[in-house]
Amino acid sequence: MLYRTAGQFKTSYVADQALFPVRQDAVLLTIILIFGWVIFPMTASEFTFQTLLIPILIYALAAMGLNILTGFAGQLSLGTGAFMGVGAYACYKMVTLFPWMNPIVAILLSGVFSAGIGVAFGIPSLRIKGFYLAIATLAAQFFLVWLFEKWSWLYNYNASGAIQVPNLEMFGVFVSGPQAASVTEYYIVLFVVTLLTLLCINLTRGNLGRTWKATRDMDIAAELIGINLMKSKLTAFAVSSYVVGVAGALYVFMWKGAAEPNVFDIPLSFQVLFIAIIGGLGSIMGNYLGAILIVGLPVVLNVVAGTQVFEISTGSALLLAALIAAATFLFGVARNLWGMAAAIGFGAATLIYGYAQLQGFRIESALIEHINVMIVGALIIFFLIIEPHGLNQLWRLIREKLIIWPFPH
Amino acid sequence: MKHFTKLATAAALGSVLGTAAIAQELYTPNLAYRTGPFAATGIPLMNGQADYMTLLNERDGGIGGVTVDFEECETGYSTEKGVECYERTKADAVVTQPWSTGITLQVLPKTNTDEIPILAPGYGFSPMAYGKVFQWAFNPPSSYWDGASMMMQAISGGDMASLSGTKIVLLHLDHPYGKEPIPLLEKMAEMHGFDLVLIPVGLSQMQNQSSQWLQIRRERPDFVLMWGWGAMNAGAITEAVKTRYPMDQFVGIWWAGHDADLQQVGEDGAGYRSISWSMPQPDAPIMADLEEYVFSRGLSQAEDTDWVFYQRGLVISMILAEGMRTAQQMHDTAEITPAQLRDGLENLEITEERLAELGMSGMVPPFSTSCADHTGHSGGWMLEWDGEKFVQASDLLMPDRDLIRPLEIAAAEEYAEANAPWPVNEACDPES
Repeated sequence: MLYRTAGQFKTSYVADQALFPVRQDAVLLTIILIFGWVIFPMTASEFTFQTLLIPILIYALAAMGLNILTGFAGQLSLGTGAFMGVGAYACYKMVTLFPWMNPIVAILLSGVFSAGIGVAFGIPSLRIKGFYLAIATLAAQFFLVWLFEKWSWLYNYNASGAIQVPNLEMFGVFVSGPQAASVTEYYIVLFVVTLLTLLCINLTRGNLGRTWKATRDMDIAAELIGINLMKSKLTAFAVSSYVVGVAGALYVFMWKGAAEPNVFDIPLSFQVLFIAIIGGLGSIMGNYLGAILIVGLPVVLNVVAGTQVFEISTGSALLLAALIAAATFLFGVARNLWGMAAAIGFGAATLIYGYAQLQGFRIESALIEHINVMIVGALIIFFLIIEPHGLNQLWRLIREKLIIWPFPH
Repeated sequence: MKHFTKLATAAALGSVLGTAAIAQELYTPNLAYRTGPFAATGIPLMNGQADYMTLLNERDGGIGGVTVDFEECETGYSTEKGVECYERTKADAVVTQPWSTGITLQVLPKTNTDEIPILAPGYGFSPMAYGKVFQWAFNPPSSYWDGASMMMQAISGGDMASLSGTKIVLLHLDHPYGKEPIPLLEKMAEMHGFDLVLIPVGLSQMQNQSSQWLQIRRERPDFVLMWGWGAMNAGAITEAVKTRYPMDQFVGIWWAGHDADLQQVGEDGAGYRSISWSMPQPDAPIMADLEEYVFSRGLSQAEDTDWVFYQRGLVISMILAEGMRTAQQMHDTAEITPAQLRDGLENLEITEERLAELGMSGMVPPFSTSCADHTGHSGGWMLEWDGEKFVQASDLLMPDRDLIRPLEIAAAEEYAEANAPWPVNEACDPES
């Protein structure tokens, strides 16, 4: 009923091949874009910008880059963190060597360097695949982080070995560095992420995306139907590393403000890989869902643990209740009892926690951290059990069922 | 528990009346780490800090009649979490205590625009000492460069010329913290003709340093200086014992002098030294007060209260409390703002008399700060492990300020230039 596709006739091939053949998808996306471009920037606090909005967008972009390589072209990579580092260091060198350069241009150009490095480390993929390729990219990870530490020219011979983002100006407004306002940084991140998402959606739908998918599904068959494997794999490495490099430049310039080499070490690669896997390999939207779960959820849980549950404003209480009701409804549509139980359980747990707070219960911040890690870990396992193909697939199933709801077969 | 109920009622009442009840408190969040690979060294320090503030609240009703809310925000030593904690607490906080050189480097430029003092006692960026440029940053009572200078004096026996031709290894954590002393040590190596060998320990190699110690055995250095933290200290000390490196040639910075790390090796570690700007005084009057008002009331999580790190935690909170007290006196108000606290921290006068009044004689050398000097350069003592505990092994050592000061100013100005526009304290005359 909500997602009724009846009556939406396609009378031309162009209409049938549109980005969103179903009208509700386009409406939903417009609502999300209005939230992203108008409502969030107007209402968000400094804390929300710095710990939720900006990092979620940046991590989603990095995961999207990895997803092109691993999800669409089937080449496993464990070097994402290092490729992000290449983008960040390239951007740092560019803005310090050429201070007149426009920061957004510098950020977009820095991806070119990581694309070059990515292609160089992607050459072994022509001979090896699967786990063996993962080991080769792991070598890139170790080598590049070592290089960031040892090559002092990269960090302008700074004594602490860290790169520090200078104040960068664009049309008289500070866009990066300590003087920049969070909302400016957010808009730049949002602009770059929107641009690259649009690019990635169209690339993966087009000719190139089809050759990547063919390479992923069966490389011998792909070769037999005339796909040049070398071209397919290396373009995947180039596009993927480009996106990841831009994400790395944003990560340091628009969010962290300073970085030392071990920021780009293997935990970052794993984090991005988890986002891509949980979000769903071979999808674009999944990266956002994964980033919300892995990056956003711990912050939200921390905030919830630190507030008096029964003292929040009516608006936030209604929002929370609406979110829980919506999640329960969506899981209900998908006939997923475990999901419904989890959503209701979360609401009940919040109420119990609030009641305990009224009784004078208080937990130490270290304990909150331990519990937080446990909850996030449990949720990752939970989502992978109810839908092994990731959050994107979960949403697709819900959407399929929504189309015929409330009259299931 | 009772304190909390009171607090909750106050908050509830405050929200009903539409006034901020929080303002009746001095909110001094601590970005603590009681989890992760650095927890072992973090916990005793954070316990000491929290207990000192609890003592003030219980015994004196806070500072100047206003209670201190010493909330902890857990970072696990992760820079990302640290920035998250900073953003979450900065709205109400009068000070930020970042507790890691990595977090300090990230937060340092932000505090300059948010105008919140950053208190990093004995850590952070050494050039923060130059208060004209780093107007919001404080690292009393001693900086890492001071520490390096005092360590070199101790191993040379006071005569730097005697180091000519020797070989000195710096075993350091490969992290901004571990790299802090390198510029000064390189300069000293050039001046006094010793050979400096840098051996970094990566964050992933902290527990297994066999390759580093193999290199040390091959190099046969006359001295090993250590800039270690967390699990790295225990790893280095056990490795040194295993490879039978002479302990009297092995000297650590103040964060590498943790009792628990040396207790693992016991007698074998005897002779290991660590420079320190704090000294455990288990018989000090303040310990009796803590027993009466804090420990016996079950308000503390602390276990080993005569450890170097626990007592250093007390000193760190004392510095903050004295800063707040000075600010209250200067501005004649009990509820100080971050800007007023900055004035307080800039005019600290920790004299022998004041320490005696606080019941903390001998726990820290006397020092004072000014607008140009945000460190105070108290000097420090060598502590030596005698097989069971750390004992004092030297008189008060003073850093070579004539050498360090120009370096600090140069590094601070370079930082300000790289981060232009960087507002400096124009009213401050460094010569005065």
